[in-house]
Amino acid sequence: MPRALEPQQTPAFFVRGPSPLARLVFFSALSLALIATDSRLHYLTEVRQGFIALLHPLQVVANAPFNLYRTSAEYLTAHNTLVETNRQLSEQALHDGAKLQRLNELEVENEHLRSLLGASQIIAQPARLGEVLHMGRDPFTQKMMVNLGSRQNIKPGQAVVDGDGVIGQVTRVYPFSSEVTLITDKELSIPIQIERNGLRAIAFGAGVDNVLDLPYLPVNVDIQIGDRLITSGIDGVYPVGLAVAEVTNIERNPDSPFAQITSKPVAGIKNHRQVLLISIPEIESALGTVINNTDGSTKAGKPAEKISPVTTSPAGSGSQNVNRQP
Amino acid sequence: MSTVSLKHVYASMLLAMLFQLLPWEGLALELLPDFMLLTVIYWLLRAPHLCHIGTAWFAGLLIDLATGGLFGQYALAYAMTAFLAVSYQRRLALFNIWQQTAYVFFLLLLTQTTAIVLKLFGGNDFPGWDYYLHSLSGILLWLAIIFSPIGVEAPPHKS
Repeated sequence: MPRALEPQQTPAFFVRGPSPLARLVFFSALSLALIATDSRLHYLTEVRQGFIALLHPLQVVANAPFNLYRTSAEYLTAHNTLVETNRQLSEQALHDGAKLQRLNELEVENEHLRSLLGASQIIAQPARLGEVLHMGRDPFTQKMMVNLGSRQNIKPGQAVVDGDGVIGQVTRVYPFSSEVTLITDKELSIPIQIERNGLRAIAFGAGVDNVLDLPYLPVNVDIQIGDRLITSGIDGVYPVGLAVAEVTNIERNPDSPFAQITSKPVAGIKNHRQVLLISIPEIESALGTVINNTDGSTKAGKPAEKISPVTTSPAGSGSQNVNRQP
Repeated sequence: MSTVSLKHVYASMLLAMLFQLLPWEGLALELLPDFMLLTVIYWLLRAPHLCHIGTAWFAGLLIDLATGGLFGQYALAYAMTAFLAVSYQRRLALFNIWQQTAYVFFLLLLTQTTAIVLKLFGGNDFPGWDYYLHSLSGILLWLAIIFSPIGVEAPPHKS
């Protein structure tokens, strides 16, 4: 018969230190203080970064067998699978290449039209390829860890996308890794636009796998099942036009002034190993161009000046639309 | 004299942490037992002179770090569990294996309940009842350990 727990041989009556109750009280107070400090005062960011950096070697060891398995699986891929994927990829590259040629032309044209309108230029946002280390371990949140950190100049707030659409946003940055909150997390919301009619809204994570909510839209809103939601780009974080989700269900309850609209993210949020981290555009320079445009002093503002020569009133300096008014 | 030393305790906790840090995904992540908690409870019941509430608290802090939640949530849950484990440890050593298992199951459920209460106060949603599957898989792992040779490897008993 196996014995689970050996009865203690030498009951040490007098060398036990403080009583369990005293210890419990002490450590409970300590953890409550920690919870309060961490949730309200944000003093512990550096502490957390330090501890995570200390844990990093252990994380590398833990990931090692899986990496080994993956690389060996890659190495042992059958010949015909490789040929097949190669064929598919080159076919796709051909299609994409044809589209890209048109894109270049359209970009030039778009730039030209925007300069004619006096609108600010779209800022290019460079991206970095990162690899998913592991999914978040907390069942209460939707997160994942990526192998790029502050050493690679990753900053909190950067958007994370994959080939199909938006995945989420970097929320915490550690020296060698960073934490990405998925768009399905309850705390994250993303400004979106309906692709079909350009209607803008904000999508909130539902806190469950693969569900996004679109709250606060009236019952008679023009949304249909199957509509694609894309990023609107007005937040300055996500580039314009990335696919976010597809509307899967609309419930119009007569008791409620709002429609209940749920959608399903298009990005393979939990399928991919590689993701793109898009850097945040420089807000200062963007603001600078807007102000210059309204003054009409840069070359972008010149065409607008011809249309309305007297627009020096300071009242409208905030928006560029002033230049276009007859 | 007991052959279990502090070295064993910390080595097993390191191993448990390693298991916790493995890149679990999908269903495995939902069924994952709390390796660290099981290790801590094991040592609390078996060698309370080496592993006490402070050790449990620190282990909980490590789990807080690994899950990325607020500091101190799991630490508090672990400390409360450790208190109950330690206060009944003398009596528990005299129980048979199934009574001990039942008590450990109760401790696992208690830790999860404490954690969920703290998380709900922190503004999270209730993740559904399958959240408690972690305890179920935990108690299965506990039984596996107890009935496996590692569990029996006890110090030579000279009475």
